[in-house]
Amino acid sequence: MIIVIGAGPAGLAAAEAASRNGSDVALIDSAPRKGGQYWRHQTSVKGYRSDRADRLFAKVENASITHLSEATVWSIEKDGQLFRVNYLQGGQESSLTAEKLILATGAYDRSLPFPGWDKPGSMTPGAAQALLKGHGVLAGKKIVVAGTGPFLLPVATGLAESGADIVGLYDANSPFRWLLSPHALLLNPSKFVELIYYAKLLKKFHISPKFKRVVSSFSDGSVTISCVDSRFGILAKRDKVHQVDVVAVGWGFMPDLSLGGIAGCAQRVDTDGTAVFSIDGSQRSSVENVWIAGEATGIGGADLSLIEGEIAGLSAAGQKVSMVLRFNRMRKQIFANALKRSYPIRDGWQSWSEETTTICRCEEVKMSEIRESVTELGAEDSRTAKLFTRAGMGLCQGRICSRNVSEIVAGLTHCAVSDGERIASSNRPIASPISLGILGDGKK
Amino acid sequence: MTSEISFTFNGEEFRCVPGQSIAAALIAADERELRRTRFGNEPRSIFCGIGICYDCVVVVDGVANQRSCLIEAKQGMKVESAP
Repeated sequence: MIIVIGAGPAGLAAAEAASRNGSDVALIDSAPRKGGQYWRHQTSVKGYRSDRADRLFAKVENASITHLSEATVWSIEKDGQLFRVNYLQGGQESSLTAEKLILATGAYDRSLPFPGWDKPGSMTPGAAQALLKGHGVLAGKKIVVAGTGPFLLPVATGLAESGADIVGLYDANSPFRWLLSPHALLLNPSKFVELIYYAKLLKKFHISPKFKRVVSSFSDGSVTISCVDSRFGILAKRDKVHQVDVVAVGWGFMPDLSLGGIAGCAQRVDTDGTAVFSIDGSQRSSVENVWIAGEATGIGGADLSLIEGEIAGLSAAGQKVSMVLRFNRMRKQIFANALKRSYPIRDGWQSWSEETTTICRCEEVKMSEIRESVTELGAEDSRTAKLFTRAGMGLCQGRICSRNVSEIVAGLTHCAVSDGERIASSNRPIASPISLGILGDGKK
Repeated sequence: MTSEISFTFNGEEFRCVPGQSIAAALIAADERELRRTRFGNEPRSIFCGIGICYDCVVVVDGVANQRSCLIEAKQGMKVESAP
């Protein structure tokens, strides 16, 4: 038996490929429906139908795959030669065992702090997208979409298509950075087609994207846009102010490493400072009989995730992986690398926060407290700063702020964040909060 | 057309279609403040929308720290901001 964790593009492709090759497959996901974050469509929402998703859904339905939905995996244990996957489903703790695991745990929006990012109305583009695609709800009527990366395009146009007024679309980077990676575009001509598709939609909804601009504050429905230099430092007196319901700001994605970390899978730091899993050419992790596919091995989008999932599924089912698949994966990886080169996150973001700006949302730790932990209390690394301030110790276990705190402390102490720290701050002993009562007796 | 369900949030009645999360139903009704923070008493709402950030946690039928962005609203559910 193979347990696939995560039912997004990578997990679905892996489950389907393994099942097609005769393996017994169980697919576990925390959401009520298949599709992950990328394909979480309510079929009624315009612009979100995907034939490719529907075909894969149908294949998975037809295969004899056990699908456990609304099941949140909180730990993985080794039990002899077997893996025991512990999960919570409807308030009950249960477990499932298998010889092999495929992890496809995906990613979530990266956030950077700015004054007002903790106010109601400020959210990630992923949240605005999830409300719309998953629940048919517009996050607001007047919306600013900002941050960096190509994901801002489907979010802005999707919201506009459903009736939102996109009063501004701002990317902190310049589109000319793509000139650094012409080969990535030539190897992936389908991306031109996508770009033209979004350009048409932007024109249709009268959205004109502006570049080298960031959201520098949000308060009482008023959002301030500032021009930035190439290091993301704010340039003086070129602000623009919009009145909005929602400001959706996102800075690319962070892989969810929780479960692979618990399983002991080795990680590495990607060129952009993101901790990801180390894998071999067949998507095998450093732990025997654990494969990893999709965003957790490096942010690359759904196309790459589908191929990685297929390769992991084939390899776990004992099949050979064709050269064509490997070549396609390489092509998509070259594009993923170009994305990192085109949409970098520069340290200047650390200067956007005021002393009173919240850095850790869960524990309500302000910028001044992080600063004082270094200047007054003598913290020389982020681990010490976190212990002094409780930053990163709340319910989200540092998923939102940990990397930011590490980088702020590194900035204050004029050090670089070490790879060891980047990896350590992505790892947690349990994957999601669980009550002692449930642990104790298996029910609430 | 599916019929609507109703639930309460801090004692007030809200209606939504089955399958919508608590947070989505409340935001659709323009109810943005889901809770206040422990120390600063600051208003908070949905942030990541996918169950990562725990900013939207509410008390659902007496059970604390439930992520309103993930949990589907059910008929008769009693949702409250944490005290």
